Amino acid sequence: MSKITSATVRMYRMGTGDCFIVKFYAGKEEKYKMMIDCGTWKGSKDHLEPYVVDLKAYVNNHVDLLVITHEHKDHVYVFEACKELFTKDFKVDKVWMGWTENDKTKKVKDWQEEHGQKKMALALASQKLQGILTDPAYREQLKTEYNGLSLLESQTSFAGALDDFNALHNSAVAGQYVGGLKGMEIVKKTIGKNNIEYFRQGDIINDIPQLNGINFYVLGPPNTWEEAKKEAGGKGESYQNNSKANEMDAFAAAVLADTGLNNDALFPFDDSFVSNDPASISSAAYNSANNQWRRIDVEWLNSSANLALRVNSITNNLSLVLAIEFEDSGRVMLFPGDAEYGSWESWHKIDWKVQCRNKKPHFTHDLLSRTVFYKVAHHLSHNGTADRLGMSMMDHKDLAAMATLDYNVIAPGWTGTMPNGALLKQLLKQTKGRLIVMSPDELYYDHPEDTIPLNDQVKKERKKMNAKELKEFKTNFTEHPLFFEYAIKG
Amino acid sequence: MKTNRPSCRKLTGYAFDPSLSQKADTADINTIVYKVPWEDLYPSESEMDKVKRGQSDGKEYMAQGPGPVGEYVEVLDYDPTVSKFYEPVDLNDPYILAQDGLAPSESNPQFHQQMVYAVAMTTIKHFEKALGRKVIWAPRRLANGTEYQEYVQRLRIYPHALRDANAYYSPVKKALLFGYFTSTPADAGLQMPGSVVFTCLSHDIIAHETTHAILDGMHKHYNNPSNPDVLAFHEAFADIVALFQHFTFPDVLKKQIAETKGDLGAQNLLGKLAQEFGTAIGCYGSLRDAIGETESGHWKPKKPDPADYRNIMEPHARGSILVAAVFDAFITIYKNRVADLLRIASNGTGILPQGEIHPDLVNRLANEASKAAGHVLNMCIRAIDYCPPVDITFGDFLRAIITADLDIISDDNKDYRLYFIDAFRRRGIYPKAIKTLSTESLRYTLEPIVSPQTKHMFDIISNFLRDYRKEIMYETDRERIYDISQKYMGGGRHSLHKRIFMEFEDSPEFEMLTGLALSSGWANLGIRTAKKKNGSNGDIPGPSFQIQNLRLVSRNGPDNNQINQIIFSLVQRSGVIVRNGVFTGHYRPEEEKTPDGGFELWGGSTLIFDLDSLKLKYAISRPLLNIAELRRNNREIDRSRIENQYNFQNNELSLKANEYRSYFGIGLNSIMNEPFSILHQH
Repeated sequence: MSKITSATVRMYRMGTGDCFIVKFYAGKEEKYKMMIDCGTWKGSKDHLEPYVVDLKAYVNNHVDLLVITHEHKDHVYVFEACKELFTKDFKVDKVWMGWTENDKTKKVKDWQEEHGQKKMALALASQKLQGILTDPAYREQLKTEYNGLSLLESQTSFAGALDDFNALHNSAVAGQYVGGLKGMEIVKKTIGKNNIEYFRQGDIINDIPQLNGINFYVLGPPNTWEEAKKEAGGKGESYQNNSKANEMDAFAAAVLADTGLNNDALFPFDDSFVSNDPASISSAAYNSANNQWRRIDVEWLNSSANLALRVNSITNNLSLVLAIEFEDSGRVMLFPGDAEYGSWESWHKIDWKVQCRNKKPHFTHDLLSRTVFYKVAHHLSHNGTADRLGMSMMDHKDLAAMATLDYNVIAPGWTGTMPNGALLKQLLKQTKGRLIVMSPDELYYDHPEDTIPLNDQVKKERKKMNAKELKEFKTNFTEHPLFFEYAIKG
Repeated sequence: MKTNRPSCRKLTGYAFDPSLSQKADTADINTIVYKVPWEDLYPSESEMDKVKRGQSDGKEYMAQGPGPVGEYVEVLDYDPTVSKFYEPVDLNDPYILAQDGLAPSESNPQFHQQMVYAVAMTTIKHFEKALGRKVIWAPRRLANGTEYQEYVQRLRIYPHALRDANAYYSPVKKALLFGYFTSTPADAGLQMPGSVVFTCLSHDIIAHETTHAILDGMHKHYNNPSNPDVLAFHEAFADIVALFQHFTFPDVLKKQIAETKGDLGAQNLLGKLAQEFGTAIGCYGSLRDAIGETESGHWKPKKPDPADYRNIMEPHARGSILVAAVFDAFITIYKNRVADLLRIASNGTGILPQGEIHPDLVNRLANEASKAAGHVLNMCIRAIDYCPPVDITFGDFLRAIITADLDIISDDNKDYRLYFIDAFRRRGIYPKAIKTLSTESLRYTLEPIVSPQTKHMFDIISNFLRDYRKEIMYETDRERIYDISQKYMGGGRHSLHKRIFMEFEDSPEFEMLTGLALSSGWANLGIRTAKKKNGSNGDIPGPSFQIQNLRLVSRNGPDNNQINQIIFSLVQRSGVIVRNGVFTGHYRPEEEKTPDGGFELWGGSTLIFDLDSLKLKYAISRPLLNIAELRRNNREIDRSRIENQYNFQNNELSLKANEYRSYFGIGLNSIMNEPFSILHQH
């Protein structure tokens, strides 16, 4: 069978979130169609349908493989929003996921349950906070306080950001938590029924009949939960230094109290210390009309921000990460999902038992140095791409990158960290401007100062390509209102 | 026969925090008896009157009693995470009294209440001793109505307020909130929480947060991060108090000194201990990191690097530079104090014989360390009165330490001041506009020379301040002290505000001293217009400014000299507009809506009057006006200050924005930002 010689990567532009079709060719003959994720931060069915219709036409209602990187709304939501289109008249031969989705094994099931509880705690904390903030008595009280209204405004926007994180992980009906993401459920139970395969870090897949000359290397998710929990490295490791996340167990337990779960963990002291006298001095002092301004009912819920960030990072780190290698040339396409630092770091500890081609000390390093296409992890955020163990190793002269960032469809809180200035700078330099962003219009190169439009800088950087490179890039890159496409030579 | 009221109440508590009780080598020094100034902790007659009056006019008044609720603090053990109250401890219970309070216990919330009370009161006592006056909390700002702010008698303490590895002083609620958290890794699952760690059981955290509250009561503008040092100073100062408070307990030191045996490097031991105090609870080590590091099992002091002060901006990390500088000075002071003892003990060889040190020597060494710590603590606390009211820098603090110390101790025969200067110098902390680093040049200008006309005006002010002193001198009721000070400061016809407003109108000399715009033309400088009622003559418009922190200082020095001073601060703000990094003009805060790129720049001056000589002793200013231009008769707001503040707040800080801040929008100027968290999320 003839070998695969090239591939095209099509990024649908539905809004911040991933949806890719990768087609593999032997010469001019289309051999294999692979789809990676289908999600966006938000969007109505009407808005999303044209994209899905185009996608189905493009693959002729059939993909050989669907890869789901991880369970976040911006990677699976469109399966929910356009369920009909995906469950009818659309054929998926095989679904790939990370081992952490295989809830048939006990270890994963237990962990999923625990992680699920954290996600639920996030949802309930968000609901509790909304409950207090919309309580008329609380709002009236704040009106009488110095700066009370601006406090309320700030708390409301905090609660909004928290709810955005909640929506990223959970489904809700009328503001009430109902469970995990529907899109994921549809993929697992309907689209991928009985044909899901789960992969572990270090797996190598090279036996797909249509893909002669293609090797898949599974870099993530890490094989231990500990590695998944690490969201950011130190200085020089990821693009910013983050404070260590706290252990939130006590917090989650308190939030989940109403559910009847975890009651053992709830009270820090023996019951005998609890005062049950509603008219006690303490209770009178706390509830007294003069002292309303000193109440602390809402403060503790602010800790939910840490829980949200942590749950978010863990889920990102569970992304199924694939490096796809053209065997003959050694050129690599890297699709890391939204993997954060903990995942990137773990790739460098894999015992591959494979010879390096580029004389690098470790095979992962070798793969990175041969990467000619990089799907930027986590929408250009600061810890989506490792610095020393990632970006700095991707030094191939042909490197091109695609990033799924779109300011028209994004959670407001995300614009603060995406795009990360330092990462953008390095990416543009190393790709010589071959960075394709879903919607570059409102983005700035020097975020957050926002004085140099990204498009201007991209044009400037592209001048660094020589005539041949520029010509090739123009041939390989296709622009369309619904998608961007880039062709990669094998 | 009547028994006299005891001077103190003995309360057992942790010297550090519970984790040290689990280590064999520290368990027996971890329990100490705090001697807290005696409070009855039951309502006095006058309090009962207040309670009754309160009930009749609908303003409930909380009286002393279980909680503990005392004169200064009220411990209110409400746990919002489970919506429950824990039973308050009654420290007057005979059984509790008979055994010096409840025994340390992690599982008894009543002991937690006792612990926060004991440490908070110990901290307050140290401040009152050093300052020579009562501690008064920052007043509560009111939204509307006639009163602008109201007196807050008690700091509220919530020992179990958060489920997080965090604790903070909330300037809005005038409350300390302590968190608790599980320390096991998440793997154990939610069903199996590990040991619970309570931040309210750590001496350092309680002392630290109490100090934030006390400092906020003295300098409310110190929570406005107008330069990189301000929040860092708050952190460092709070930590310095927590740290040196430890060293004032000699019992803690004795055992450790005895264990060093022949090792003369006991100064290393103190440094190591200082750091261990900080790291015990796990989430609170960073402030002490600059002191030293452990290399292959041996602790050694960290070499000061002047680059740190230029590069490190995060408040805790930056604060650690100041903590290290003060600690360095302390170590030098201690070494010099014990040099003779070590010579005697080693027969002049400097080498102690093998084996145990003589217990007498241990006692003497520990006492010297404790004494030196007490002195350093006093020097630092006293200096607070000599700081500018806004925009403090570490350099200002050094000048304040030197000036305050010169005022009270004329003969520095133990060279304390030199050691301080040296320790700051080695960390690259230089005050601005100082040509040489000497005691003389660091001292603020003593009795600035003024024209006879201005001198006359100061005489009027001084006489007025003498009336204030008369009224307040023997007043011990904190609320009365607050009320009297308020009365003299602002509002009424005969207030200090009014006098300054009238006397110093168009006095270029006074503007030069304070750096504030007090003459006509203020509106062009972005300063709001205030109207002063002038009886039948109608209102007179003038530049808006505030008087803050009027206080009487009476201190006795070791040479039997007495200091009688009245101190107050003037503060003023100017609305400035900066676009694309360039200053473009002014707006007037409150009169006009804050325009795009608009922010407030504060200036202020701390004025210290000597009541014996009726002279202005010091004017310690952070000018709003450009003084050099003012000398040439040009009145303009200091551009370099505008640009520095802009650059710091917009570049330095936003570049270091992390996930928490960017996702949740709780930035520097967000009202939700709790500036004094032990764990900074931003």
